[in-house]
Amino acid sequence: MTGEVIAFWALSAMLVVSAFAVVLSPNLFHAVLWLALALTGTAGIFLLLDAEFLAAVQLLLYAGGIITIVVFAIVVTERLVGERITQTNRRIGAAAGVSLLLLGLIVNTLWNQPLATVKASMSSADLTKDVGESVLTRFVLPFELLALLMLVAMLSAIYFARPEE
Amino acid sequence: MAEMLPGWLLPIVAPFIVLNVVVGMVTYVTLLERKFAARMQSRIGPYRVGYHGLLQPIADALKLMMKEDIVPTAADRPIYNLAPIVFLIPCMLIFATLPFAPGLGVADLNIGILFFIAVSSMEIVGLFMAGWGSNNKYALLSAMRAVNQIISYDLPYIFAALVPVMLAGSLKLSDIAVAQEGFIHWFVFYPVIGQLAFLAFIVATLAAENRVPFDILEAESELVAGFRVEYSGMKFALIQLGEYAHMVGSSFLAALLFLGAWDGPGPEWLGPAWFLLKAIFIFLLVTWIRWSFVRIRVDQILALSWKVLLPATLVLLICTATLVVWRTSGGI
Repeated sequence: MTGEVIAFWALSAMLVVSAFAVVLSPNLFHAVLWLALALTGTAGIFLLLDAEFLAAVQLLLYAGGIITIVVFAIVVTERLVGERITQTNRRIGAAAGVSLLLLGLIVNTLWNQPLATVKASMSSADLTKDVGESVLTRFVLPFELLALLMLVAMLSAIYFARPEE
Repeated sequence: MAEMLPGWLLPIVAPFIVLNVVVGMVTYVTLLERKFAARMQSRIGPYRVGYHGLLQPIADALKLMMKEDIVPTAADRPIYNLAPIVFLIPCMLIFATLPFAPGLGVADLNIGILFFIAVSSMEIVGLFMAGWGSNNKYALLSAMRAVNQIISYDLPYIFAALVPVMLAGSLKLSDIAVAQEGFIHWFVFYPVIGQLAFLAFIVATLAAENRVPFDILEAESELVAGFRVEYSGMKFALIQLGEYAHMVGSSFLAALLFLGAWDGPGPEWLGPAWFLLKAIFIFLLVTWIRWSFVRIRVDQILALSWKVLLPATLVLLICTATLVVWRTSGGI
């Protein structure tokens, strides 16, 4: 086994354990911290796949940004509700059933249609440069549409947050 | 030096050296700050331990190591105990990608600056764990303020850092440093854009490091010591270490982005010394601001970020992009 394989399995184990802990831990704040660990682990997997840019963005946006916002939301809402929010669900059996079904579906699809195992050749050594160039040339329309979507979301957030007249 | 070691040993030795240098430097940076602050206020500062107080940081460290470690009964134990480590790791990791001289660094990544910013934004997780895990109202309030502030100042910080990136045309830190070779090419001397970006970067750095005038999260008169109020002994030392390491790292980044990193007169081997001097200059600038200004209110901090700094850096970024395109398409 090479170091890369060992790292992959270690990261995967960490990812699975922390993902389970996210949904199973009764304390909402602990769940968020497990989520932070899971997102960091995902960044590690991206690193193993030579996607440095994606890994850094994953850390910056998800492990840094999203977690911050989730934590903020928890604290603010706990203040409003005035009691600790638990995140256990009485219908855990049904949830597990749906999740297993979804997992089966994904595994089945992958079984019938294996992913390409050949590494796609890159035009240059600098992957970040490739990403930037393709986003602003070939995929410029979806990119701008996403920007528009963000603008709409931002405007609606401001609309909801404005003081009542 | 790299050729003398067997290949497998280098990934272990290089981080070991860097970590120890960083810890040593951070220890003495605290003395520097205390001396500097004292001089600004016509005091002498630490003087009794060693020659001119030179052994003071060591005495401080020894004292902290021997202090009793107290865990509040109401604390969320695992989170409370893990928080200093989670806080410290990102603060140390930022040094991984800094090149201290051409080819002298742990890992000169292609995405250097992005790595630096991404990892240093992870610091907030540890900070919040400390604030929440302590189960103390001051700590929690402080952590909430920190979250507020960091969400607001992350964007101006990144935008200001992107100006040198665009001028150099690379995210790699060593490329940015090389692009500034020769005194007049330092990005801080770039007409108009350079100075404005430097100013915005310093302000955003102050906010990102929670230094005065942005230190509402440890406003002593309201929140005692902020998120670290329940920590004592070595755990407190770890948090302080992380905070100062982050500050030193940010000073190095500012020196690299705007002050030409290792560029300076004299032979090439003097490069790291120049880099260190510039980083200390930035650090002293930050300290100078700390001891000269008063704390501003929460709403003022947020207004400054969203209404001034964010639009300003955005416009600056657009101007830089236009300039770069114009320059590469045959301008000057």
